[in-house]
Amino acid sequence: MTRVRWIRSLFVRERMDRDLADEIAQHIEEKAEQLVAAGLTRDAAVREARRAFGNITGVREESRDVWRWRAGHDMASDVRYAIRQLRHNRSFAGAAILTLAIGIGANSAIFSVVNAVVFRSLPYHEPAALVSVASMDPRRGAQPISLSYFTFFEFRRAGVFERIASYRDTGLTLTGRDLPAQLDGQLVSWDLFDLLGVPPLRGRGFVSSDEAPGARVVILSYHTWQTYFGGDPSIVGRPIMIDGEPNTVVGVAQRGFTYPIRSRPVEIWTTLARDASSATVQPITEQRGARLLNAVARLAPGTTREQAHAQLNAVAARLAAEHPATHKNLPGTDVRPELESMLGPARQAILVLWGAVALVLLIACANIANMLLARTADRQHELSVRAAIGGSRGRIVRQLLTENLTIAAIGASMGIAGAAAIVRLLVVMTAEYLPRATEIRIDAGVLLFTAGLGVAVCVLVSVPPALWIGRAALGRGLAGGSRAVTVRHERLRGALVVAQVSVGLMLLSVASILGSGFVQLTRRDLGFAPGNLLTFRAELTGSRYTTERQVAFIDTLLERLAISPGISSAAVGMPLPLVGNEMAVAFNIEERPAAPSERPSSNMALVSPEYFQTIGTPIIEGRGFTNWDDESRQRVLIVNKAFAEKFFPGVSALGKRIASGATSNRDAREGGTVFREIVGVVGNARQSPGGGPEPIYYFPYKQMPWGPPSVIVRTTLPDEAILPAIRRTVAELDPNVPVHGAKSMAAIFATGIAPPRFVTMLMGSFAAIGLLLTATGLYGLLSYAVARRTREIGVRIALGATRRSIVSMILGRALRLTAIGTALGIAGMLAGRTLLTQLIVVFDPPHPTAWLAAAVAIVAMTAIAAAYPPARRAASIEPTSALRME
Amino acid sequence: MGTQTDRKDLFPGALEMMILQVLRQQPLHGYGLVQRIQQASNDLLRVEEGSLYPALQRLLKAGCLTARWGVSATGRRVRTYQLTPAGRKHLERQVTSFEQMLEGIRLVLAPVKP
Repeated sequence: MTRVRWIRSLFVRERMDRDLADEIAQHIEEKAEQLVAAGLTRDAAVREARRAFGNITGVREESRDVWRWRAGHDMASDVRYAIRQLRHNRSFAGAAILTLAIGIGANSAIFSVVNAVVFRSLPYHEPAALVSVASMDPRRGAQPISLSYFTFFEFRRAGVFERIASYRDTGLTLTGRDLPAQLDGQLVSWDLFDLLGVPPLRGRGFVSSDEAPGARVVILSYHTWQTYFGGDPSIVGRPIMIDGEPNTVVGVAQRGFTYPIRSRPVEIWTTLARDASSATVQPITEQRGARLLNAVARLAPGTTREQAHAQLNAVAARLAAEHPATHKNLPGTDVRPELESMLGPARQAILVLWGAVALVLLIACANIANMLLARTADRQHELSVRAAIGGSRGRIVRQLLTENLTIAAIGASMGIAGAAAIVRLLVVMTAEYLPRATEIRIDAGVLLFTAGLGVAVCVLVSVPPALWIGRAALGRGLAGGSRAVTVRHERLRGALVVAQVSVGLMLLSVASILGSGFVQLTRRDLGFAPGNLLTFRAELTGSRYTTERQVAFIDTLLERLAISPGISSAAVGMPLPLVGNEMAVAFNIEERPAAPSERPSSNMALVSPEYFQTIGTPIIEGRGFTNWDDESRQRVLIVNKAFAEKFFPGVSALGKRIASGATSNRDAREGGTVFREIVGVVGNARQSPGGGPEPIYYFPYKQMPWGPPSVIVRTTLPDEAILPAIRRTVAELDPNVPVHGAKSMAAIFATGIAPPRFVTMLMGSFAAIGLLLTATGLYGLLSYAVARRTREIGVRIALGATRRSIVSMILGRALRLTAIGTALGIAGMLAGRTLLTQLIVVFDPPHPTAWLAAAVAIVAMTAIAAAYPPARRAASIEPTSALRME
Repeated sequence: MGTQTDRKDLFPGALEMMILQVLRQQPLHGYGLVQRIQQASNDLLRVEEGSLYPALQRLLKAGCLTARWGVSATGRRVRTYQLTPAGRKHLERQVTSFEQMLEGIRLVLAPVKP
């Protein structure tokens, strides 16, 4: 019966029932009137009419039954029967339901992540047409490279896309109120809002003339509008003080709007006009080497991403030919779906975890199928009786299916309850770095997925018993189980355990390889001492803070901090170690000059004299920076050991001179190429938590006074005790300078390794569950086999088999199954090698093969542990009682 | 389930067959049907009046009858049942098989008679 008809029949049933009640009343009334006419009293007539009619309720019941959905009725009775059966076998039902709840719960939880993070489309207009656009340097592989304004303007002019917009993050300081506030700002090309199709809630938004140098307009986020301006609608059109300059508010964004989606939403937007007139001599918009921009584009209607990519590649190739000095190494572009780009490596990690958790469910299914097989065999007699008294095979299989469906339904409901708890935990764990993590929840989609999973599991686990019923003629059941049937049955169960072992081994190997990589990540030498380091930023923005004043401010600040209680030394650096912000800039080596496009490139940083001492990196050769290394002196550099070894192998780097692409105002004033002498070599302090010892060269801050760097202090007291003093010290120097972003280096490190920790932890949990389920499966298989073979083993013992030989017989079977499973598991991993390598590359574990061997050993030991109790039980069978059994 | 009422009949389906037979002559409402059946059988066949209704429901569901609410000659609001073409065909089939069965019974019983 189709669903529509079924629903309609519900209404039909109700109407029929009402009609019938009417009809019966009329019938009795008519009869009574006739009887009254025949001379009875009214009361007697009604009594007689009712008697003649019979059981009114019974008639109505029976008539209702006529309209009832027959299949539904049968099913209800099947379910009642199933529940009764499960009640009689509490241990079986409990084990099956628990196994399923674990398998389905884990899957629903991970699916809720996949659904919210990977599958759900972005909250913008026609999000499928959004792509992220970047440059591509073939030498660096598939890594997208940020755009310079020059490249962006060229791409925009080329008209490949319907629209293309640039954006880059920057901190902006809001003043003119009691306390200065540091806002997460974004510098965008004028039409970002139009491109995304999310116009501002209030105000006109940006227009193209807002990109003109000197234009100062901002759009506030809804949150900023509420927090700092009390939601005052008249703020639109009025000026507010940003970085010490008046900026006109031209809009308030819609509530919750931010782009791209991440844990810290944008708080204020302004146009790229800010970059067209920066404090440096040459505005960023005109520096062709300043690759700072991200870009998002909307595909023109009718254009595919591939077509747009090809057209943009042609533009990039033309730029590379026309401007070799800056674009020779950027002949290609990267155009990928916006969602993919937003998620980055998290996407693949989540999908891998999804695959892993599906494997866990498969292991759980094998366990349940095994239990069902054993149970079906035990019920052979019952089923045979049912077949003998006329139950069709279809009806019997349907009954078994209903039982499994009941188990699946209960297991899935429990699983969902568990998943809800896991999801809360996952959100907390990933909120800081996983885009849209806060949107992860058990919603209708997840419930639907879980229901589907329940049905799929039910069908999957019902196949082996149904197969077995099909093969083993039910009629034979009454004559007592035949030996051939039992053997085939045992083989089927053995095959299931083999499958479990192979899948379990795969999970465990991946988990152990990830685990070893992660342990190495946390234990390795960072090249500095990350404990007791506190960092913060003091924003010195706006026209008041010229370069000279910034340098003077920082000089004084560091002097005062250094003598503060609880601080043993203070320094500034940009970028700081471990934060993962890398500034790669090309340079020319004096003794091996090269054309601009052929020059080597490496990370660079700007640091103050106390920096290396503060972070605890040793000076290996030469000297550190001093306070005299300022603009008036000879220009110097310090490089790390990795830099010295890479670019000056076999010789001392001291005294060598290089000219960096990074320039200060003074360099620009003096013109030409400025060579700087390497005066020291320091240890390899890691710039990012995951990377290796990358080459880096350091400028003394005063000779390259770019923007305000971050402050880092070595503490001797807890951070909470020192922070108020730091705020006071800054406020004494300038009450309009906000102190923000205070974080300990340990916290920065923890944040940096949070994603691999998350993946490793989940993978480890999945492997542990998988192993446990596999062990349960093996244990169940052997226990059942021993129980069924009690008589046979009794005979063996009676005939002189030693207990030892019985134990080794059982253990031997376990090890045989494990060995086959292990071999299949290794084969499976070789087959999925490519995927694994991609995953493992992220972690770079030291000895994958050794860890694989460890995984095999763990699986083997688990197998022995699971097999030992049944083996012992077999060995302790008393031949006399065993033989008396039947 | 559906055979519970039939034990009061002569055999399964007899009541349905009688209903169809009576309705072939003219549409009637429930009470009218009861009276006609009793009259037609010279009051030999006394069924519980209520047992008629589940049988009517079964015939309705099978599409052998249609029912319509209306007003009777005595001014009473009644539901009148009418035979459909499908009902007519069903009746014919039933009657044929019934006659075959009767014939079978007669043949079986005949030799026993002296």
